Amino acid sequence: MKTILSSETMNIPDGVSIKVHAKVIEVEGPRGKLVRDFKHLNLDFQLITDENGKRKLKIDAWFGSRKTSAAIRTALSHVENLITGVTKGYRYKMRFVYAHFPINASITNNNRSIEIRNFLGEKKVRKVDMLNGVSVVRSDKVKDELVLDGNDIELVSRSCALINQKCHVKNKDIRKFLDGIYVSEKGTMLEE
Amino acid sequence: MPFKRYVEIGRVAQINYGKEYGRLVVIVDVIDQNRALVDAPDMVRSQVNFKRLSLTDIKIDIKRVPKKKDLIQAMDAADVKNRWEKSSWGRKLIVQKRRASLNDFDRFKIMLAKIKRADVVRQELAKLKKSAS
Repeated sequence: MKTILSSETMNIPDGVSIKVHAKVIEVEGPRGKLVRDFKHLNLDFQLITDENGKRKLKIDAWFGSRKTSAAIRTALSHVENLITGVTKGYRYKMRFVYAHFPINASITNNNRSIEIRNFLGEKKVRKVDMLNGVSVVRSDKVKDELVLDGNDIELVSRSCALINQKCHVKNKDIRKFLDGIYVSEKGTMLEE
Repeated sequence: MPFKRYVEIGRVAQINYGKEYGRLVVIVDVIDQNRALVDAPDMVRSQVNFKRLSLTDIKIDIKRVPKKKDLIQAMDAADVKNRWEKSSWGRKLIVQKRRASLNDFDRFKIMLAKIKRADVVRQELAKLKKSAS
């Protein structure tokens, strides 16, 4: 069944400037600029100002199936993540978990890549480069913690996933060998 | 970028395919997702697919499925005919019709007029070029 029109709006906070042109959303704020391309969706994006003078982003789906109507809210969530990335930034924390062999991590390349040694006593050195705009730092107050910072949630979370996946245990019972580097906290850089 | 001309009761549209090609009609009801009931002062009320309609900017104030008399009254009140003929779309149609109905002598006269106009334009251009160089 095709729904004639389904639409949703979201508020745009002050302090961020949004440009919408041909399904490419550009968000600029105190921490920088993020661009996201929604050309794979069949939606209408428009910026409107409602009666109270507040700026809103409105997304329409004309004659949409169930899936395209569902895509409206996800597009809004993606834009919301862009806005918080550009105002508050994203800070993901990861913890080292090991039973016997301490994981030895060194940050190289001015906070852009990490080298992991002695994972499970292996001689292999694992090197992970962070993605664009993501910085990694060894937390000083907490033992065995990594802090990844960035503006774009997709890049920060994907960098965490890259680090996590480099430290998978092979050929062993993973219920027993629980070593690895796991994401412990997903938050923003500005703590309220 | 958002849509400005909506399919609604009272929207004036032009039929762009089929036997009634070029006729201006008013949408008086929506039958289902694809079809509308349209009406015009000089035709029987009939159904037409939305794909055969091109919406215009003009909208008149009518209730759902008005009587023919009320439809004609509303179209006069909104002055549809004049607004259409003054709009750029309507004017282009009039010019197209005129061009299609020319005979050979008229086309000859137009050819001479175009040559004369191009002549005047070229002379002015030459004057501008001379003053610029």
